Amino acid sequence: MSLASLSTPIVAPAEDMVAQGSASGEARLVVTPHSVESLRLLDDPAEWGAFSRPSAHGPDCWESSVVIEGMHCAACSLTVEDAIGRVPGVLDVQVSAASHRAKVVWAAGTVHPSGWMAAVQKSGYRAVPANDVFASERRRVETRKALWRWLVAGLCMMQVMMYAYPAYIAHPGDLSQEMEALLRWASWVLTLPVMLFSCGPFFRNALRDIRQGQISMDLPVALGIGITFVMSTVGTFEPAGIFGKEVYFDSLTMFVFFLLTGRWLELRLRDRTAGALEALMNRLPDSVERRTAQGEFERVAVRRLMVGDVVRMQPGEAFAADGVVEQGETLVDEALLTGESRPLLRTVGSQVVAGSHNLSSTVLVRVERVGADTRFAQIVALMESASATKPRGAQIADRLAKPFLIGVLVAAALACAWWWGRDPGHALMVAVAVLVVTCPCALSLATPAAMLAAAGSLARAGVMVRNLQALEALADVDTLVFDKTGTLTKDAMVPESVRVRSGASQPQALAMAAAIAAHSLHPVSRALVQAFAQKSGSDASDAWECGAVSELAGQGVSGVVRGLTDPMQGKDIAVKLGSAAFCGVQVDADDSVRVFLSDAQGWLATFSFTEELRPEAQKAVASLEQAGVSVHLLSGDGAESVARIAQQVGIVNAQGGCSPASKLEALRALQSAGRTVAMVGDGLNDGPILAGAHVSFAFGQAVPLAQAQSDFVVMGERLESVVQAVFLARKTMAIVRQNLWWALMYNAACVPLAVVGWLPAWLAGLGMATSSLIVVLNALRLARGGSQFDALTRKEA
Amino acid sequence: MDILYLLIPLSVALVFFILGGLWWAIDRGQFEDIEAEGARILKDS
Repeated sequence: MSLASLSTPIVAPAEDMVAQGSASGEARLVVTPHSVESLRLLDDPAEWGAFSRPSAHGPDCWESSVVIEGMHCAACSLTVEDAIGRVPGVLDVQVSAASHRAKVVWAAGTVHPSGWMAAVQKSGYRAVPANDVFASERRRVETRKALWRWLVAGLCMMQVMMYAYPAYIAHPGDLSQEMEALLRWASWVLTLPVMLFSCGPFFRNALRDIRQGQISMDLPVALGIGITFVMSTVGTFEPAGIFGKEVYFDSLTMFVFFLLTGRWLELRLRDRTAGALEALMNRLPDSVERRTAQGEFERVAVRRLMVGDVVRMQPGEAFAADGVVEQGETLVDEALLTGESRPLLRTVGSQVVAGSHNLSSTVLVRVERVGADTRFAQIVALMESASATKPRGAQIADRLAKPFLIGVLVAAALACAWWWGRDPGHALMVAVAVLVVTCPCALSLATPAAMLAAAGSLARAGVMVRNLQALEALADVDTLVFDKTGTLTKDAMVPESVRVRSGASQPQALAMAAAIAAHSLHPVSRALVQAFAQKSGSDASDAWECGAVSELAGQGVSGVVRGLTDPMQGKDIAVKLGSAAFCGVQVDADDSVRVFLSDAQGWLATFSFTEELRPEAQKAVASLEQAGVSVHLLSGDGAESVARIAQQVGIVNAQGGCSPASKLEALRALQSAGRTVAMVGDGLNDGPILAGAHVSFAFGQAVPLAQAQSDFVVMGERLESVVQAVFLARKTMAIVRQNLWWALMYNAACVPLAVVGWLPAWLAGLGMATSSLIVVLNALRLARGGSQFDALTRKEA
Repeated sequence: MDILYLLIPLSVALVFFILGGLWWAIDRGQFEDIEAEGARILKDS
């Protein structure tokens, strides 16, 4: 974007260190990497964590995410990639023109961040650590400058148009010589600020291109503007000169205004499309109220928080760290993290996650995880790496941009030479039209703009995209395989029946079991506690007191319960709760989930559980089938229960009792039958199977984000998210195709028109500004929030 | 119509004057958050 170029490093080193007061008034020293010297400060390994993380490339390798400033089109991203890639020690670099982010993998033994950042600087751009506090401050200044440039161009354009108007309507002889000269002089004066200020970025970028021997979109634009201005100036002051007395100040200012409008809107739109990602990344507050040892509250920077601190969160604030509510209760909004749009109640003892919003009242939170350990940080890392990946379509467009621009320059020169003999003034205007009408930007934006918009939209629905290219594969998916029964059922189990030995009462057995189960975190124990709470409406510890509890992992819990209420008051009973072997009970085989309770006399009760289907599973499967995606289920569970679940949700192709190897085999069989397969697993221990599929989803709250190797990670518990992702991917690819067609057709139609001289310069400018705007606007249709997203699935379902 | 010889230079000056006013407004951040100002009256603090 042209707007970024104002940050070319002209600032004296003395200004590099800026003391910045945070909200607390606590002064912090923030370093802007203006000069190479100050870049060195980033070589301190302690600083790396702020914008880098260890990479899987090898030992002591880091992956950094940086924002590249001064970039405005596809050719630039190649220049920067080249510059960084040539630095020894840099293992991999990817620069995305659409998100202005670069992902750099480097070996800490060979090179330090200052090394490759200086290389970026030398090529005329600037790298800013993506998580730098300063990035947002600079963006604000940039936005102001951009708005200011645009307004200057707009106001001057309007006024110049007024001065040009008389010349258009006047009959020969109506305007006196002096009046005509005065109007031209006034136009010239008002064009000056446009040329000197509003066009600054174009000229600066063009100059940089020439110096670097590179080429970008700004070079033809600057050439066009420059030629027009020189020609019109000569016309103004030397009406008898070679170019005649024709002036084009009105065309010139209008072109600049259109162009700046286009770029300004593009910038805003990009902020909104990439903005969903950005909104997520910038979610954490800068500072937070921490309780001191004296019990008072002080504001400290979030990075100073430690595990165990107690912080006070006001309504409207975002939680700064993962923690447990210590006091108070509130509603929180976790939509960006899980896709769950309803406010959730959090009471004393419940978990809150960093990045979610406190909606209703003030709570005290004990911090449990900070910084990179939070789930939020993992999500951000995931999104950053995704937004820097380059889809295949964009790579092709980037490679085409340079030859295309050279072709344009040649075409302009040829057209000018052809017309020169007849009328030099007209010849130059034709050349200008050719220069400004072409727009490789539309071509190079076509793919990434749509994919980023889709990724942002998915992120809001709780689906993280690890790799933009996967959207393309997902659009072609015709077979979807659920790899686990667990993806179709709720995590919590529901007790189905309770059997007790004669003489014992069912509620009492359940109460005893619940009381002792409360000491265990096993899912079955939790289900028991919940079942009791639902049935009796009270806490099991009201009736039974537990002592000497010990848990044998994977086996069960044992302990002594003492009755607190009437019939059993004061009696101690030693009980065991767990598997049949643990309780010493003989049972017949059965593949339902059961847990046993025994006391000194042996078997006391049996609790059977069923897995409850996710309520939306049936609908999700039905809408997938309707969209032409055949749904399969491969599960390691017993064949009988798999068949039952498959029948309940309406899956025809279900197979139970699969080993990981046989799942992989089944997957290969589907793939060799020519199907594009998407795999939905929990991402925990199904890595090879997920990796083998064309597209993979890791599903469920338990997904370990940092290790998940799937293309998509579904954050929430909603199965619809998978369906939505499939539909959105299809729509995305449709929009990518539309964008590519439009960009190709536009350039194919307009360049010849301009060459033969049928396109006036102002129309050329309008065309160029709108062509890339249309691409971005079209892509934006994918980012129109959740409501449209739901409507989409409703319609398809 | 001779007055135009005065008015046209004057209009040029006026444009620069207006531009100056806009610069002042932008520099003070008046266009950055247009919604917040309207909502400020509803806030307690």
